[in-house]
Amino acid sequence: MSINRKKLGALLGVVAIGIAVASTAGAASQGSPGVTKNSITIGGTFPLSGPASLYATIAGAEQAYYGYVNAHGGVNGRKINDIVLDDQYNPSKTIVKVKQLVENDHVFAVVGGLGTAPGLATWNYLNNKGVPQVLLATGDAYWGTCTATGSAFTPKPYCSKPKPWTMGWQPDYPGEAKLYAKYILTNKKTPHIGILYQNDAYGQNYLDAFNKALGSHTGDVVDAEPYNFTDSSTVVSAHVQALAAHGANTVVIFATPAASIAALATITGIKAATHGAFSPLTLLNNVSANRVFLIAAQGAHANVNNVVSTTYIKSQSATPKDSAMILAKKIINATGNAGLQQQFAAGDNNLIYGLASAWTFVDALKHAGATPTRSSLMKALRNLNETGANRNPFVFPGMDVKTSSTRTFPMEQLQFEQWKGQTNACNPNTEVNCGDWRKLGVVLNSGS
Amino acid sequence: MERLKTADVGQVAIAVVLLAGAIALLVCSLGSTKFATSTVAGVALGLVYGSLALALVLIYQATHVINFAQGELAMFTTYIAYQLIQWGLSYWEAFFATLAIAFLLGTVLQVAVIRPVQHRSVIATVIVTVGLFILIDGVVNWIWGGSFRSLPSPFGIASYDVGGVPIEHLWVWQAGVVLAGLAGVWALFRFTKLGLAMRAAALRPASAALAGVRVEVMLAIGWGLAALLGAVAGLMTEPSQYFLDQAFMQPILVYAFAAAALGGLESPAGAVVGGIAIGVLQTLMVGYVPQITSELQLPLAFALILAVLLVKPNGLFGRRQVQRV
Amino acid sequence: MRRRLPAVVSVPGVAGVLVVLPFILSSYHTFLAAEVGVFFVAVLGLNILTGYTGQISIGHGAFMAIGGYTTAVMSRDHHTNLILTILVAFAICFVVGLLFGLPALRLSGAYLALATFALAISVPQLPLQWSRYLGGSGGVQSPETKGNVWIYGAAWSVSAVLFLLAWLILRGRVGRAFRAVRDSEIAAVASGVEIGVYKTLAFGISAAYCGAAGALFVIASNGFAQPDQFNVALSLQLLIGAAVAGLGSLWGILAGAAFVGLLPNISPSVPIIGSEQGRDVVYGLLVVLVMLVLPGGLAGLPARLRSLRRGLNRKSKPVKLRGSSSQ
Repeated sequence: MSINRKKLGALLGVVAIGIAVASTAGAASQGSPGVTKNSITIGGTFPLSGPASLYATIAGAEQAYYGYVNAHGGVNGRKINDIVLDDQYNPSKTIVKVKQLVENDHVFAVVGGLGTAPGLATWNYLNNKGVPQVLLATGDAYWGTCTATGSAFTPKPYCSKPKPWTMGWQPDYPGEAKLYAKYILTNKKTPHIGILYQNDAYGQNYLDAFNKALGSHTGDVVDAEPYNFTDSSTVVSAHVQALAAHGANTVVIFATPAASIAALATITGIKAATHGAFSPLTLLNNVSANRVFLIAAQGAHANVNNVVSTTYIKSQSATPKDSAMILAKKIINATGNAGLQQQFAAGDNNLIYGLASAWTFVDALKHAGATPTRSSLMKALRNLNETGANRNPFVFPGMDVKTSSTRTFPMEQLQFEQWKGQTNACNPNTEVNCGDWRKLGVVLNSGS
Repeated sequence: MERLKTADVGQVAIAVVLLAGAIALLVCSLGSTKFATSTVAGVALGLVYGSLALALVLIYQATHVINFAQGELAMFTTYIAYQLIQWGLSYWEAFFATLAIAFLLGTVLQVAVIRPVQHRSVIATVIVTVGLFILIDGVVNWIWGGSFRSLPSPFGIASYDVGGVPIEHLWVWQAGVVLAGLAGVWALFRFTKLGLAMRAAALRPASAALAGVRVEVMLAIGWGLAALLGAVAGLMTEPSQYFLDQAFMQPILVYAFAAAALGGLESPAGAVVGGIAIGVLQTLMVGYVPQITSELQLPLAFALILAVLLVKPNGLFGRRQVQRV
Repeated sequence: MRRRLPAVVSVPGVAGVLVVLPFILSSYHTFLAAEVGVFFVAVLGLNILTGYTGQISIGHGAFMAIGGYTTAVMSRDHHTNLILTILVAFAICFVVGLLFGLPALRLSGAYLALATFALAISVPQLPLQWSRYLGGSGGVQSPETKGNVWIYGAAWSVSAVLFLLAWLILRGRVGRAFRAVRDSEIAAVASGVEIGVYKTLAFGISAAYCGAAGALFVIASNGFAQPDQFNVALSLQLLIGAAVAGLGSLWGILAGAAFVGLLPNISPSVPIIGSEQGRDVVYGLLVVLVMLVLPGGLAGLPARLRSLRRGLNRKSKPVKLRGSSSQ
């Protein structure tokens, strides 16, 4: 064996350990955590790689918005520095990253973290330390029901003590499921409902609320098929086949994007195979209703016309001339990030989500006083009033983002929408002739 | 190469059981359209598992390495096909070009990364393939990012209607390709000098070298062929997964391992049969035994395989390895 | 003859450094050092199985899962002292490891690897099935959250105790039997070693260690246990750590634990990495390169360096043809 190899080996070993140690070095901070005279440091954990990395664009959009705000002087003269860390959707990694944010990077607040299990893994730690864990990018009920304070709080199996430092943002999944149940009962004469849901707390959240909202009509549910997040698309497809076999004429999908695409493609397949006998009313949860997923489904030969879903943010593809969408395009272009720009052009709604969420944070920060503290930030977040003249420009027209001592979910409204305009000439790569979401009805209340 | 003709009774018994199972499936399918649809879908799924299992078995037979990176390699070559199509090639041009690229990639990897460790412990080679897994994942994410891409099936969703049971054109093609691959691998090892040389190089490198076999070349070719088979598996699997994303081969890899273990790592036919068995079992469970909720599917599948391995430690079709002292 | 566990000199040295470390490092870095301690226990255990006894396992993450859930559930339901839960996890996993090791005797090589792989995949699914007791996908949360220094102390104390235990086990007949099994099963049988007993024992011991590591892992994770934390990637990480560690010297295991505990978490701001994806590429490359270039793992590094120095010396002096040649 040559000497060079040995040298290389020794060097590698030393370098590897050296990198590992050096990389964990963090910046020191002075004064109140994360707040200096001219900057505020916040942070969040996102799945930038690994199974859920589709949502990475949310983090990119949030950083883009803070960049825009900074370019216009920041908030009270402070520029916002947003540290985004990758937790690969693995709760134990989330804990390491959150500890890094709090103890090493000394962030002012943990903002916008994505995922339910990651959030659950860290909410005890953050609440014990009094660090705001806010604007979580997930709609599970935990973030509203457990975060009420004082007499408004009722203990639940998953939270015996209140978590006053935690707060969600988007309309919660149970509220959404409730509206779908109402929609079916109103619009389908004799519904035979088949439900495809993800077999974890996320999917269960939807399912339980849906069944509850059906009330005396729970007998209309002919089949409910659970699938695992890690199942291959063929297995998901088999579940959809089972729904059809049970005679469903309405299919409700409470899934994540990959499974939803498989489900939509399968529905089209069965429709073709049965010569149109199976042609269900299809409802899709809004997490899976991002335009890019519907386009991808069309690439998989799905016919998604007339699929129904809901939204709570504006769409850059449906209303490109809206002043907020023009602003959004400007903000994304200003980042110089080609990937983000491409996704924006493709109609990735997650970008608008990110901008909207970041707008709320900045709004709260503006109301947190000349020198914000963690308590004053929470107070501002619990008294949001993005209504009327102070409306969040990125949420759907007419929707409020509002909190109070009795209202712990900032957003409690949804707008129904239906996909129209897909033709046989659809080219998924150019997105021409593939249709888009069209408004269906008026803004509805999804709160309890 | 020694072959011990032991336990042929066992082999016959297994063949009989499998045949009985197949006949039972056929009879039930004739009786119920729903059963038939589930079974056909299960066979299609099983062919997907079998195609990747075939690549795993080929590498094992030719180089005695378990390649954890097989699925990711297949995914990588599928992305290459996607990119070629983006650059203007037609589907079939890209298909064959990708096969060639895959072969090259396989041989290069073997020479660069596996050759230095293959004569050491099993663990070293396993770790290297695990490292490759992580590396390829990172590279794909780096180049193409995480978004969904469309690589549509060349057959669309057209399907034949056989007595009310939909059989997609895609599935027929998959079956044809897998069987052709299986026949090719079998013929390679049974009838060709190259195949003989490859098996000798894997089993008895020292003796083979003495007999004039260029061992290193054989091992590289083995990897190249396996990568080629893997590329085929990836290209065939992708349409049935509906879209192209980084993780699409990972659940397949798990079941492909199961299929290879079930059928025996030494038996290409066993791998394919194992795959089909697993696929059919899965779809039938989904359709008929809803009490077996989805969380238990994987554990049950593996419990089954463990049970089989306990009775037949070299898989259903494997041969017991006898070591001379 | 490979070096066994290290001389009496280096152990107190390392121990001394470990005691002083929390006073020097920041709270966050203490936490990272604690994570390395958790992996130390796991890699130490797995190393007994793979390095000393030559059996492969891609499934020891499953034992970490069992140990971890033991801690979380006992703490949540009975408010058991956390240290006690580590002991219970150790004991339970020892038994489970033995139970798995027995049927595993029938398997070897690739099939054993696949069987352990099956374990790694199946076990984390179980809490999803029995979600009433095991929390399902919402996980199990222990009411106790410990500070970084506590976690560090627990992790490294357990490491020290288990290291001593391993040293005691491996220096005697058991260790010799393990090595005999690894070096040549046929010769071992011929020498009267009951390989079945020792293989099973190796499984049990390594499982017990990983169970303790799992308990510590959950404690370090704010007392939260959830299936995604124990996925296949964890089992692969442990195996990488054990292989990179080489053959069980203290330094090797420390290096292996640091390798898998710290490297995957490198910040992308370090040069040459540049992004999250770049980090995965670099990590994968390093894994491959370490295996290629250091056959004895990082434990073989000092020997390599020594022979490197010897090789350099030999170049300048005339060759002395006495004694055996070195590598």
